[in-house]
Amino acid sequence: MSLDLGDALQTFFAESRSLLQEMEEGLLRLETAPDDAEAVNAVFRAAHTIKGSSGLFGLDDIVAFTHKAENVLDRVRNNELALTEDLVGLFLGCRDHIERLLDITADGVEMDAATRQQGEALASQLGQYMGQPAPTLPAETNEPVQSVGGGRVADDTWHISLRFGQDVLKNGMDPLSFLRYLGTLGEIVHLTTLDDALPGAREMDPECCYLGFEIRLSTEADKARIEGVFEFVRDDCQLHILPPGSRVADYIDLIEALPENNIRLGEILVACGAMTQRELDESLALQACESARQESPQPLGEILVKRQIVQPELVDAALTKQKEARHRQAQEARFVRVHADKLDSLINLVGELVIAGAGVGLMAARNKDGAMMESVSGMARLVEDIRDGAMRLRMVEIGETFNRFRRVVRDVSKEIGKDIELVIGGAETELDKTVVEKIGDPLTHLVRNAMDHGIESADVRLARGKPAKGTLQLNAYHESGGIVIEVVDDGGGLNRERILAKARDKGLIQAGDNLADRDVWNLIFEPGFSTAEQVSNLSGRGVGMDVVRRNIEALRGTVEIGSREGVGSTFRIRLPLTLAIIDGFLMGVAESHYVVPLDMVLECVELSASASRNEGCDYLNLRGEVLPLLRVKEHFNLKGRSSRRENVVVVTAAGRKAGLVVDELKGEFQAVIKPLGTLFERIRGISGSTILGSGEVALVLDVPALQDEAARAGSSGVMV
Amino acid sequence: MAKTILIVDDSASVRQVVGLTLKGAGYDVVDAVDGKDALTKLDGRKLHLVISDVNMPNMDGISFVKEMKAKPAYKFTPVIMLTTEGSEAKKRDGQMAGAKAWVVKPFQPAQMLDAVSKLILP
Repeated sequence: MSLDLGDALQTFFAESRSLLQEMEEGLLRLETAPDDAEAVNAVFRAAHTIKGSSGLFGLDDIVAFTHKAENVLDRVRNNELALTEDLVGLFLGCRDHIERLLDITADGVEMDAATRQQGEALASQLGQYMGQPAPTLPAETNEPVQSVGGGRVADDTWHISLRFGQDVLKNGMDPLSFLRYLGTLGEIVHLTTLDDALPGAREMDPECCYLGFEIRLSTEADKARIEGVFEFVRDDCQLHILPPGSRVADYIDLIEALPENNIRLGEILVACGAMTQRELDESLALQACESARQESPQPLGEILVKRQIVQPELVDAALTKQKEARHRQAQEARFVRVHADKLDSLINLVGELVIAGAGVGLMAARNKDGAMMESVSGMARLVEDIRDGAMRLRMVEIGETFNRFRRVVRDVSKEIGKDIELVIGGAETELDKTVVEKIGDPLTHLVRNAMDHGIESADVRLARGKPAKGTLQLNAYHESGGIVIEVVDDGGGLNRERILAKARDKGLIQAGDNLADRDVWNLIFEPGFSTAEQVSNLSGRGVGMDVVRRNIEALRGTVEIGSREGVGSTFRIRLPLTLAIIDGFLMGVAESHYVVPLDMVLECVELSASASRNEGCDYLNLRGEVLPLLRVKEHFNLKGRSSRRENVVVVTAAGRKAGLVVDELKGEFQAVIKPLGTLFERIRGISGSTILGSGEVALVLDVPALQDEAARAGSSGVMV
Repeated sequence: MAKTILIVDDSASVRQVVGLTLKGAGYDVVDAVDGKDALTKLDGRKLHLVISDVNMPNMDGISFVKEMKAKPAYKFTPVIMLTTEGSEAKKRDGQMAGAKAWVVKPFQPAQMLDAVSKLILP
């Protein structure tokens, strides 16, 4: 299958992935509450929809496999089969297999032997649950249909459903010329043009094709020839060809496969050529006539069947589709799907608004215009509300991310043979979408580590007087303008002696060093550090904890560890709520302005002239502590007046302190962070920029990077 | 007015056969010996279809199609690629470049006419 399958396939993948997630959630729910009928339905629906839409794309492997799973699920749904733990496990396996099949399709690669084997193994397991052949056959069977035509649509024409892809025109293909060529094969008896996909004039891209066609063709040509007409657009269109006298079931499939969802029942039937417009009109007239006589009008479908225009199955299929479409619309009405880019640009604009507001405020203050200042402060309040509102749009609950770990915990605990329960707290805590996306990997690592190394095996736990079942907690809560995410286990805790020994081996610390617990725990974040005696395939490969810390710091967050031997460990991740606007601390150096995130600032002290100053390096005796100093002015080679009084801003990041030497302290400042242009990305020590009310630019300092420099300068100074 | 088709192929015989076939069917034909040469023919004249070989000296067919599709005037011009043995990889490359139609060599003139008439109205 070619890679270029267009937007629809991408939509299909996205849709299927979210369905798979629903399936997983449903199955996990069923594990604890096997009688939850709604969950069974949700799982069944998900499988059914995936099967249906993958059929649309001709993904036969997925259709065939999902069909088998669906059959067993159907028996569960009909209470013919009890849902055991094994069966849930099997369904979870099936769900994973479907995901793999989707990945394979998305990557456009061939299915490898292992996947095929796994599929066969799962299928045979599913087969055992089918027992005797299912008494109720699915709707798409060959059973003759009761009504006129003996289950066949009494017509000797081919039916062709055609939906051109949007890119057809861009690829130089003219839909009209294909239709004209089709006409050379025989006679086009009927042709309906569908413009349902056509957007409003404002959104319409004149270079895109939005049309679909329903064609009835009378021809002597075979299916291959008809298909050959569309050879060159095969990848860019949805094509369904039904031979003359097709079974009703084929039409039902077709109705389900049609992309349109807002056309009324009659139109659907006309669109798929199962009846003509005239038949529809007559039936509509009859319905109108009946409703004049009766209180409740007879449904159109019944009239159609009574008049033997269409088979009841067809009406049912169309009605189901109509109902689904309505249901979907009702669901969609409560939520608006917005492209993340649009939100980003809104946040960006709000940022500009904050800056502009600050500019106006500054102006009013300068002119000492009381009335003006009054109205400016009113506006500023509104701007702040708008800012908060805009930020909230990007906030998502962390619960969804946490819920993913239910599966991880379940699988891992089975794999390593430990009984571990996951307790989730604060699932409704919200944080920025970009942060949520990036926190998943570090969290996974911490969770796996806690399960693998933290929580002891059952016998050890019992010997220590703890319950055999281990508990892992994921907590989230807001704290002083940030969010804290905790991974807590009730395991053995970190082993101080082992960490120290390992650190000495690696040369990270000296033999005589006396370290506080906190510093000892932080050693495990050093690159290449792993104390696990044997490497399991889950964690403990010695890569990871340093990556975890780096990932978190990249989000301007910090991670700290609390641990008590025999009681458990807590990994506490602190993250800013958003990456777009921060509370900063504004400092003046020479003529320039710099900002550091406020939560990194510990204190400010005046730099006395007596502060020691060695060549090339500075350090300050801060109440008996050696504080490496970094002179911002020298670091950035700033020229200009040097103030008589200098100040030291003591900053901390990842547990390390450093002092920034600046001229002026300007206090708190709300900074709208703008990324640096690509040209400046490599500059060390600066992570972004922001604009002051006066229009001047202030640079946001990258404290960890500056600390590295300060520490480097400091240590070389001490050594010399 | 007759529609104009550009044939790009380094083999003179192919150019000749295709040219004759198409002229016989009432099309105007312009030809070029390779991708570079073909680019010089994209001088603003109206082209209704381009038929291009893949493997050619100086500039291959796929690079040519890519460059052609970058020109606003020829963005929507349909392309038929001539592939030698229906190599799937090449076909895919061609499709990525924007050539969605192909005819496998060797072909009968009638096959070529058939493919052409699927793409453009006479």
